[in-house]
Amino acid sequence: MDVQVQEKENVTVIYLDGKLDGNAAPLVQEKIMTHVLAGCRLVIDLSKCDYISSAGLRILLMIAKQLAREGGKWGLSSASPEIIDVMDMTGFNSLFTHYDTVADAVSALKKEA
Amino acid sequence: MLRVDLSPTHTHGEYKLRVGKPLPFGATIVPGGVNFSIYSRHATSCELVLFEKRAPKPCAIIPFPDEFRIGNVFSMIVFDLDFENIDYGFRIDGPFNPEAGQRFDKTRILMDPYAKVIGGRDVWGQAPDWDDIYQHRARICFDDFDWDDDHPLEVPVEDLIIYEMHVRGFTKHPSSGVKYPGTFAAIREKIPYLKKLGVNCVELMPIHEFDEFENSRLSPVDGRLLVNYWGYSNVGFFAPKAGFAATGKFGMQVDEVKALVKELHKNGIEVILDVVFNHTAEGNERGPYISYRGIDNKIYYILTPEGYYFNFSGCGNTLNCNNPIVRNMILDCLRYWAADYHVDGFRFDLASILGRDQYGAPMHSPPLLETLAFDPILGKCKLIAEAWDAGGLYQVGSFPAWGRWAEWNGKYRDDLRRFIQGETGMVGVMSQRLQGSPDLYGWLGRGACASVNFVTCHDGFTLMDFVSYNGKHNEANGENNSDGGNDNYSWNCGWEGESTDPAVNKLRAKQIKNAAALLLVSQGTPMILSGDEFGNTQWGNNNAYCQDNEISWLDWDLLNKNKELFEFFRKMVNFRKVHPALRSRTHFQNKDYMGSGYADITWHGTKAWNADWSATSRTLAFMLCGKHAKEGKAKDCSIYVAMNMHWDMHGFELPKLLKGMLWYVAVNTDAPSPQDIWDVGEEKKLGNQGEFLVGPRSVVILTGK
Repeated sequence: MDVQVQEKENVTVIYLDGKLDGNAAPLVQEKIMTHVLAGCRLVIDLSKCDYISSAGLRILLMIAKQLAREGGKWGLSSASPEIIDVMDMTGFNSLFTHYDTVADAVSALKKEA
Repeated sequence: MLRVDLSPTHTHGEYKLRVGKPLPFGATIVPGGVNFSIYSRHATSCELVLFEKRAPKPCAIIPFPDEFRIGNVFSMIVFDLDFENIDYGFRIDGPFNPEAGQRFDKTRILMDPYAKVIGGRDVWGQAPDWDDIYQHRARICFDDFDWDDDHPLEVPVEDLIIYEMHVRGFTKHPSSGVKYPGTFAAIREKIPYLKKLGVNCVELMPIHEFDEFENSRLSPVDGRLLVNYWGYSNVGFFAPKAGFAATGKFGMQVDEVKALVKELHKNGIEVILDVVFNHTAEGNERGPYISYRGIDNKIYYILTPEGYYFNFSGCGNTLNCNNPIVRNMILDCLRYWAADYHVDGFRFDLASILGRDQYGAPMHSPPLLETLAFDPILGKCKLIAEAWDAGGLYQVGSFPAWGRWAEWNGKYRDDLRRFIQGETGMVGVMSQRLQGSPDLYGWLGRGACASVNFVTCHDGFTLMDFVSYNGKHNEANGENNSDGGNDNYSWNCGWEGESTDPAVNKLRAKQIKNAAALLLVSQGTPMILSGDEFGNTQWGNNNAYCQDNEISWLDWDLLNKNKELFEFFRKMVNFRKVHPALRSRTHFQNKDYMGSGYADITWHGTKAWNADWSATSRTLAFMLCGKHAKEGKAKDCSIYVAMNMHWDMHGFELPKLLKGMLWYVAVNTDAPSPQDIWDVGEEKKLGNQGEFLVGPRSVVILTGK
């Protein structure tokens, strides 16, 4: 898994490329958590993430909980319909909003800011 | 916290190891690795077998060093495992001496009896690779879940309305209109429907991992594949059926089931699991080695003195439920489903087997049943027994209960059916059934709710078939119509099977309404078979265990066609919920202990206060005094129910109410829809307060207020 970070209009966009599973989880957690700060605005883009395992879902959930504690706002973008369905069916979708594109996510989070 | 036992002490090839913890059994994620623990009393050695997920050959076979065994338990921590991507099993050596009950075979790879996720049949109906050396693969499971504030609902048992369903059959039919038909996720999509119907509990037919391909075969009649569709044959007791999960192909079935339970709870609906502890999918001596047989045959199964399998289950073997080891496994299993899945209760298939000793003899006070009755974690769970087995034990009314166990009341089903189809000699026994069967449960602190009342269940005719067929039509099962019960007490209303005759269909609809009305005014806990509320048919098949097709799948188009039935059921369910007089936990006392002027229940007939108890009677009526609702703790109006199961109309003289109170019509199954049932609050004031003409084969319900 490759993790790239970009700043766009005061929103941190994190691009995940590859499989988000138990092997990738520690790296992803480490890279994302440094951006989970009070009042942060965060987008995790999944356009190049073709698979999320149980461990991967749990990483996203932990990020969501941490963000809620810190008062940050965040969203996912560009997840495949299958990944969105999996998140829904396994109950992992309650803590975030999904946007079709990074641009949508950035503009929504920026507005909320 | 720093610990001194988190580092490896041994190696095996590239694998780093340490002695494990014997408890809990199974595979547990621990800091840095996975703890594997398995019991076998008669094993001489044990190996852990690891596969990359779905790989045909193992990537490692790690013997448990002798110092890793404590007592009869082998336990080991393996460090740095990519546990999301492995399958694990065991190979166990020991004596092969069938006459002495031992069948160890160190060449077999055995599934962990405590496996929380089981692969191998990940997608329903996908043909397995029969050459695979490890068919049912234990996998490692995350046991965390974001439950928020979810908690088992603990709906008082007297207020429960159970809805029995097959996870796949509920939504597999294309007419269901869900995104992932036949899955746990699809049930979530149907929650609005369940709420509309008004039930507050779903009872799921077996959802433990089973093998739909067990004894699969082509039907000699139509060439269709017949499978183990119902799933009353466990591969593993701790793992949900992967093939029922839309996410089973990703191994996420645990989270999918938990998400379903959480969502049902959020909507006020409890979850009861139908659990099958009477046998396993290993069958008899000709069956496969899946797990138990190769781990410790003699411990897990009840064996004949010659070492063959006793068959009290009718399925080849009998789980040795009152062996202390097996008893603990069952307890661990139920605790796991209650604590980790927030399940609200259990219905035990062929539960009488759970009361047999290690030689198969029924016990007076079976330790397993007592343990479950008093277990602290299961303390608020509903425990429901199917109080018979295939070995001839029939314990309806006498199941060892300790005031905790309820029963599927098979006598209720049979008596109600016989009464509805117009048999004589039934009014006396019907009076018992309507009261929560005090003749069966009036002892030992059991009460009305020890009786789970039902007219139909998965096993037997659907309600529509009960009024459409005189006999079973199981030809499609490929056994020359010899399978399935013959004691259906059904009546086809004049024509066998589907009919275009309006008179036949009108009578059928009325008989269905009669059954629904009586079920929902009976004391005890009612259970509705899913689909009955819209007239689902199995075309006379009363044993559809192998039919993974339109025979078993609910046809949701019927909901539109038979709207009249659905509306009747929906309003009847609501009627029950609104009237606490129908939901007493204890049996009636047949006296006026509230000083209302009326006893809690009184019996009537065509003449008020004078029921016809004669052998030729087909009429009966009763009145519940609202002041006695829930033993006087709840307020209700009076309820009068008249039952005329004769083919002629009869006038029923009505009991007089206290001054100023009047009778209102809530239900009259003889009236055309929508006048057959009135919404609560919309009941019609009766013109003639002295008598009601009850139509042929009809039920009338009045409220007095």
